Amino acid sequence: MTPEQARHAIEESLVQVAPDADLGSLGPDADLRDSLELDSLDFLNFIEALSERAGRRIEEDDYPHLATMASAIKFLADR
Amino acid sequence: MRQAIAQLMARSKREIPHYYLSNTVDMTAAMSWLHQRNRELAVSERLVPAALLLKAAAVAARQVPDLNGYWEGDHFVPAAAVHLGVPISLRGGGLLTPAIHDASDLPPGELMARLRDLVTRARAGRLRRAELTEATITVTNLGDQGVEAVFGVIYPPQVALVGIGKLTEKPVASHGLIGARPVVVTTLSADHRSSDGYTGARYLAALSDLLQRPEEL
Repeated sequence: MTPEQARHAIEESLVQVAPDADLGSLGPDADLRDSLELDSLDFLNFIEALSERAGRRIEEDDYPHLATMASAIKFLADR
Repeated sequence: MRQAIAQLMARSKREIPHYYLSNTVDMTAAMSWLHQRNRELAVSERLVPAALLLKAAAVAARQVPDLNGYWEGDHFVPAAAVHLGVPISLRGGGLLTPAIHDASDLPPGELMARLRDLVTRARAGRLRRAELTEATITVTNLGDQGVEAVFGVIYPPQVALVGIGKLTEKPVASHGLIGARPVVVTTLSADHRSSDGYTGARYLAALSDLLQRPEEL
């Protein structure tokens, strides 16, 4: 996955989970869960959607990598 | 919706003499069981800690039935089953509290699926009216919002409300040694007309015991 593809997959997954989310104002290092007010169920829905788009299973141990937009892009683009 | 919440909560505080208890629960066993389980299953079947806590809260309500039911007139009427009220915050404000029916009898995976379904439908405005009035005890979870402990207001005519705080790592002494362990603060608000602190304490102890044996939930 290129960084651009990764960003696209992350944004689409976030919009699916939180349709009213304002991604435009989201900084690269802002905490996704706090900024978008995602609870643990929302976050699991996000992980599920992102796993499908990325075509790979995301483990619970990987969650820390998905804390911010910047770290999530790096995580997906690295593999 | 604000008016409905205002009326119900004002009635609760006017009529119900609340008492409050809290207990810090060691979540080491529960978290390692969850982690192991989630590694073996599809992403869509993963359990969040909140679902396991709900299941334990429901089973504890069956074990301490004096907290599960309604205050009617001047006496307590126990409920035959545990219908767990779960407050769901709506995006854009407001709160709905639908019930998970027979929550104490559902396997954790099924309870998790019901919870996801309720959240989805609550936010889409597609809950049935009956679902909003059938809870026999309510469990509120504000852990995701970062609060350590929540001492809630009982939903009349129910007689108890269980609060779940944030899952955090804390230094805990065990067998004379201090280590970092995942813990959660569980609380109980209960109606002193229908139960005493002793009963409430038994409830929180039962909840903690159940969470030490997650594989049995």
